[in-house]
Amino acid sequence: MSMDFVVNLLPFIVNGLSLGLLFALIALGFMLIIGVMELINLAHGSLFALGAYLAMVLIAPSADWMGTFGQWYVGLPMALRYSLALVAAPALVAVVGMGLEVCLRPTYGKDPLYGLLLTFGAALVIEESIRVIWGSAEQTLPVPPGLSGPFLMGGLIYSKYQFFASAFAIMIIVLVWLFLERTPYGAIIKAGAHDSEMVRALGINLTRLRLFVFGFGTSLAAIAGIILSPIWGLRPHVGVDAVIPAFLIIVLGGVGSFWGAVIAGVLVGLAVGMTSAFASEWSLLSMYLLLIAVVTFRARGMFGKKSVLEA
Amino acid sequence: MEKKSISRRNFLKKTGLAAVGAGATLYGPWKHNRVYATATDKPILIGMTSDASGQYANSGASDRRGMMMAIEEFNAKGGVLGRKIKYVHMDTETNPATGSRVAERMITRNEVSFMIGAVSSGVANAISQVAQKYGVIYLNSNSSSPTESGKNCHRVKFVWDGNGTNFAKAAVKNAIDAFGKKWMLLTNDYVWGHNTSKATRKLADAYGAKFVDELLVPQGTRDFTSYLLKIQQAKPDVVAAAVGGDDQKVMRQQVAQLGMGRKPAWINNQQDWPDVYGLPLKNLFGVFGTTWYYKLDLPGVKEFVGRYNKMYPETAMQVPGNVFYNGYMATRELLSAVERAGSTNNIKVIKQLEQLKVSAKDRMQHFDAYMGPNHQMQQTVYMATANDEKAWKQNKNDLFKIVSWAGPQEVEDAGAIAACQMESYADTATYDG
Repeated sequence: MSMDFVVNLLPFIVNGLSLGLLFALIALGFMLIIGVMELINLAHGSLFALGAYLAMVLIAPSADWMGTFGQWYVGLPMALRYSLALVAAPALVAVVGMGLEVCLRPTYGKDPLYGLLLTFGAALVIEESIRVIWGSAEQTLPVPPGLSGPFLMGGLIYSKYQFFASAFAIMIIVLVWLFLERTPYGAIIKAGAHDSEMVRALGINLTRLRLFVFGFGTSLAAIAGIILSPIWGLRPHVGVDAVIPAFLIIVLGGVGSFWGAVIAGVLVGLAVGMTSAFASEWSLLSMYLLLIAVVTFRARGMFGKKSVLEA
Repeated sequence: MEKKSISRRNFLKKTGLAAVGAGATLYGPWKHNRVYATATDKPILIGMTSDASGQYANSGASDRRGMMMAIEEFNAKGGVLGRKIKYVHMDTETNPATGSRVAERMITRNEVSFMIGAVSSGVANAISQVAQKYGVIYLNSNSSSPTESGKNCHRVKFVWDGNGTNFAKAAVKNAIDAFGKKWMLLTNDYVWGHNTSKATRKLADAYGAKFVDELLVPQGTRDFTSYLLKIQQAKPDVVAAAVGGDDQKVMRQQVAQLGMGRKPAWINNQQDWPDVYGLPLKNLFGVFGTTWYYKLDLPGVKEFVGRYNKMYPETAMQVPGNVFYNGYMATRELLSAVERAGSTNNIKVIKQLEQLKVSAKDRMQHFDAYMGPNHQMQQTVYMATANDEKAWKQNKNDLFKIVSWAGPQEVEDAGAIAACQMESYADTATYDG
């Protein structure tokens, strides 16, 4: 292997890693909900989009109808409005997510298809609402000037924003991990994922736990949407692009496994990034080939434990 | 008390007989019915077959506004042949199957005189097959696939937009002269992408371009960074991109992030105004084709924009673009052709449209335009690029800078003309709206 080849390969590894972290971020909220609720939330993609649209409004509202407050608000530094959007938009989406959980309650304990259908319907409703409110044309989510634009490394141009996004993904992954591992709430969620009936028997309010987990999971979807849409662009159906890889990553990593999702995300990113460098027509197929390769030998995915969805 | 009731069977018998009787006197054979209709001052009814949902909903609305403005202008003059012009719109949903169904319904139920409207070539092709069956004149206002006036041409169909080959022809020579001969292709990995890149390659080969690589982009690609890294490593002078739909929007976003929009030089297919309107300037990159721009420095353009603003003061799109322009021009030329023919008889109007010549002044373009033998309007094609930052900041509507233009002969799509085998007049059903 010549030196040249390695030098040429390096940028693609870097890009693959950064892409992988973003994939992991997309899968995180999806994983939490499957883990605790044993429910595949098909509205994940629409909530992803909704988060991005809400953030767009929070970052750059039309000042006209808010009078002097609006004038003052748009006069604030962009970075401040962006940070506010990163917190407030996921919180709003969490409220929508919790509303969805309330609607889901009659389906618990019934055929899982009911829950699946309900979230599918919710996905359509949310997407169409976005279309009605913001229109179907392409929009852009503005980012602070310091985060946008290119930089040079080893004679090649990279996007600043992509690296910010990857770093942000790492931060969220670590925070979620700390929350799950180091706080009593995290312990309850993990216990709930393991055996929710036992958690209830121990006197923990399962209803409240589910509501919280759904809010938390959907707010993570919104965060992923806000982080990804400056890269993917913003249109009402942008969430479709998120939900398929998220699903694939969960299966690949093993349902209910936190590190499984993260590692699977990174692997998918690397696979896509590297194949598009050398056999670009295979780039999207590569993630499915990876899935087939893993699932053939480990039906539960890389880190899946026997429990949750298996009888 | 005896109740006089009508049994179902009796009712059917009687009404059936009545209907047959009425049909015999009033309806009769198809042609007769139509002649009868024109003798009255029944309005001319235009069926608008434009998308209101799906990928092209936005463009469909713009197309429709163009048609409506032309209709409004004719009605203000008292209509055509003393008849008012009315219209009916049905959503074709960016879906060929819906397109056929809408066309069938418009012709048989609404009894439209003409049909206008298309953005997607798949939908346009479906509509035109139905239109040809009945002999109804159909204007494909805005779909730019070369096949529309090539192998899928029809006697009743007229195409008003420039096509992919026209735009590529205008772009390729320009790009080789201005930027260089080292080229790279970025191709969406499906039929349209491959066809477009094949056409570009052929044209660029003829002007002496060298192709260093062709990267295939699977549909649904969301990470273009690897492609952009690959392009940086290969250092081409020009990248010719045949990437469409959402993939193109994502690519545009990522090229803008990297600031790679100017170097290398990019050539894209046509950029429709509704797809780019309202985006930040840096999201427009490369050189692309269009048939018209609202800031062309030509007589009549300002007044045209003024009429648009007067008619659509509330529209999000504050100035008209190419899609609106094509919809307007198609409708205006059709109604003028009806006037010249002195009839709505399809064959008479078709003959008028086939001889159509429109002066540059009337087209608000740089060269005279004329109807090609394949029923495609042969017209000026403009090459545009993103405007200068300063100019755009003063006027956010002023997105494009026109870099060059080419006359219809220069960009003629000989391939489409050769491929078009249309039905004879005799094989086209007579229809009179």
